[in-house]
Amino acid sequence: MTSLLRCEQVTVRFGGVVACDKISLDVEAGKVVGLIGPNGAGKTTLFNVLSRFQDYDEGNVLYHDQNVDKKKSHEMIELGMARTFQNINLFAEQTVLDNILIGAHHQIGNPLANMFWLPGARRNEHAITKRAIEIAKMLHLEDELDNLVRNLPYGLQKRVEMARALAAEPEIILLDEPVAGCNDEETAELKDIIQRVNKELGVTVLLVEHDMSMVMAVCDYIHVINFGANLASGTPAEIRADSNVIKAYLGEDDS
Amino acid sequence: MASQAALVVIYIMAAQGVSILTGYTGLVTVGHGGFLAIGAYTSALLTKHYGVDLVVGIVAAGFMAAFIGCILGLVFLRLSGAFMAIGTLGFAFFMGTIFNNVPIFEGREGISLPDNRVFGMVIGDDGFYVVSVLVLALTTLFVYCLVRSGVGRAFMALRDSEKAAESSGVNRILYRTIAFTISAAITGVAGALNAHIVNYISAEVYGDIWYSVDFLVATVVGGSAVLMGPFIGGAFVALVPFFLEELADFSYILKGAVLIGVLIIAPAGVAEVLGRPIRAWRRRQLAAAEAQNTEAGT
Repeated sequence: MTSLLRCEQVTVRFGGVVACDKISLDVEAGKVVGLIGPNGAGKTTLFNVLSRFQDYDEGNVLYHDQNVDKKKSHEMIELGMARTFQNINLFAEQTVLDNILIGAHHQIGNPLANMFWLPGARRNEHAITKRAIEIAKMLHLEDELDNLVRNLPYGLQKRVEMARALAAEPEIILLDEPVAGCNDEETAELKDIIQRVNKELGVTVLLVEHDMSMVMAVCDYIHVINFGANLASGTPAEIRADSNVIKAYLGEDDS
Repeated sequence: MASQAALVVIYIMAAQGVSILTGYTGLVTVGHGGFLAIGAYTSALLTKHYGVDLVVGIVAAGFMAAFIGCILGLVFLRLSGAFMAIGTLGFAFFMGTIFNNVPIFEGREGISLPDNRVFGMVIGDDGFYVVSVLVLALTTLFVYCLVRSGVGRAFMALRDSEKAAESSGVNRILYRTIAFTISAAITGVAGALNAHIVNYISAEVYGDIWYSVDFLVATVVGGSAVLMGPFIGGAFVALVPFFLEELADFSYILKGAVLIGVLIIAPAGVAEVLGRPIRAWRRRQLAAAEAQNTEAGT
């Protein structure tokens, strides 16, 4: 029962708007944790806070019980945190393999040695490429490695983005709506991949998702937020039975 | 003839420098004439006052341009797109004013340089051409390695999506500065050669922004993110005025027309279009090899 990532009483204000109001949540190592809530609840803002793309006004974000205030967004990956974005953020004009390789950027070592292709750097490049191909296989992308990302269907692009995050060999991966816009088949496939990433690679997963059946199926634990504040948290079964959650999603029964 | 050929080599090299920044890193520069001038004056002053070897002058020019490029990269840290273009244009004007007015650069009077020496031996036009080609071979090899390395990947990642690049661990400040430094260094080396090709430099030429514009045109026409791009673009820009000498200003019109045509028909540059059949052929080879493999497997 060790918590890998924890945020305590985090508040984010955009001018007068309070996007996150004293949100607390923790992610236990080795689990798949869901973060759900209606549109505008502050999920993506919280994700940006956790991955240091967004500063917060109050509270603490702890990773391995260490405060990450001073870290830049590009330094989070060295700590072991990788993420994907809600609107796919890939390098569209590059091949799938190059996209995955960028994920392993923090392993290239000394940039100077790397750009002159010194022997050490060359060995390193081979190792990175080999691992990238293994990850591609795990995500069923091995036939697409030489294709340009912009030519791929949406569901595959989602997988490429996940592969890029996994190439960093993270401890935890933050997935922002991994199945949004995917059809049933793609959703089932991604669900399976998330479970395998968690079981086989031992990567902790924190995911934001609107597809409830998928969240209930893959998550060990779920945090619900609404209007930028904590609403409930518990196992999928507890969340399904929580009256506050039902009210938030379906609206108050006024009659 | 040899010096005309050397001029083509210099244009190709300068365009290579621009392509690192504009093609691979996605930062449009309209100021690389400034780096050409920095390289030219560094080597010229060292040769005039200290009688250094051409090789020393070239290396010193590369380092000086790299140093200024590094500083400029940090100054322009937050600029991108059109703002970067205007910022670098401002840099070219700034450098032009300095070369025109600071006494050591001798303004429009210009500086005459002694004969070119390589390892103590005086070299003529042909020797100078050979030296230029050797330097171009080195810069080409370097660019080839660079764009296929993890550093080159980081440049292209920043070009295509800064957010995704940063979330993948690319330090935006570090890699932008590296790109600026390398880009400036290569164009600075080209500048050193440009000073020694006629053994005379003056602010009348280097204080203007025409070099900057020419290099950008060369990079865009040739193809900015393809290894062969600067070769095609650099040769085009350097040779058009040569072949159309009698027509004088018409060469500018032709350059402009070709630029517009390329932007409309092949925005990724001529080299990219010419490379298509080669890439398609290589893909077919790979597919055939793969088919054979699977056949052998079953």
